[in-house]
Amino acid sequence: MSRPSTLRTLAWPWLIGTLAVLVFAFRQAIFVVPADAAQGDVGRIFYYHVPSAMLSLVFPYINFLAGVAYLFWRRSDPLKALAADALAVAAAEVTIVYVTICLVTGMIWGRASWGIWWAWDPRLTAELLLWLLYAAYLAVRRFSASGQTPTIAAVLSVFAAIDVPINYMSIRWWRTQHPAPVFGGGPDAGMDPSMMPAFVWNIIGWTLWGAFILFFRYALEQRRQFVEEENALKAIEASLEIPQ
Amino acid sequence: MTWHTFFNLSTMEHRHLLAAYIVVWACQGGYFGWIAWKWHRITNSGPQK
Repeated sequence: MSRPSTLRTLAWPWLIGTLAVLVFAFRQAIFVVPADAAQGDVGRIFYYHVPSAMLSLVFPYINFLAGVAYLFWRRSDPLKALAADALAVAAAEVTIVYVTICLVTGMIWGRASWGIWWAWDPRLTAELLLWLLYAAYLAVRRFSASGQTPTIAAVLSVFAAIDVPINYMSIRWWRTQHPAPVFGGGPDAGMDPSMMPAFVWNIIGWTLWGAFILFFRYALEQRRQFVEEENALKAIEASLEIPQ
Repeated sequence: MTWHTFFNLSTMEHRHLLAAYIVVWACQGGYFGWIAWKWHRITNSGPQK
């Protein structure tokens, strides 16, 4: 486990570079971009809320693909299956972090600009459902005593992935409380060019950060699997040494 | 906007802006800290002797 790897060599420069981008992006969002004409300074929540919302719909697909890879390899190649399972659990946790941020910042923004914390709007409800699905996924992983836990979790990840396109399309199919899509929403969509640098720097920064914590959590899970296997082997060896 | 207005808590808009940014850094930083703590623990403990 102590062998150097490309990822481990990249980790510190990656982390420092990401933090530098996030600090620059923060400066852009708070101090450089002019206040929103309609909402004032509270509109600056956009630069943290929207990147988190977009990434909260990306990480579930990493979880889904890793879950499918686990199901594919679980009998033919157990080592690859373990790696896929480690990636699946890492992606599920990162998803729930981004979905939580999206929901909470959305509520804080909603209270200030709509006057309400929550509405049973299709977009908000689909995002809450995504959070609940991943909470269930992590609860299964944490509390199931069955040896089939990764298999059950992988099947659950398929259901969670189905919510993602519904979530994405919800503001296109139904017009309710949530604003219309900024990107890909038709001729009236888009943002003022003055907002673009702050938005682009924040989406880059939070994507780099998400990828960093995903690989860090993946490495941790692989290390945990290794320690668990070593302990199991030692327990078997110890049981064989007991005099009959 | 300046640091002074960013930390201005006199209006709901400014309180909510500050709260949203704190929530993001607290969630991300908390999760990163939790992974780093687990990494430190598992690295130091290793397999049981």
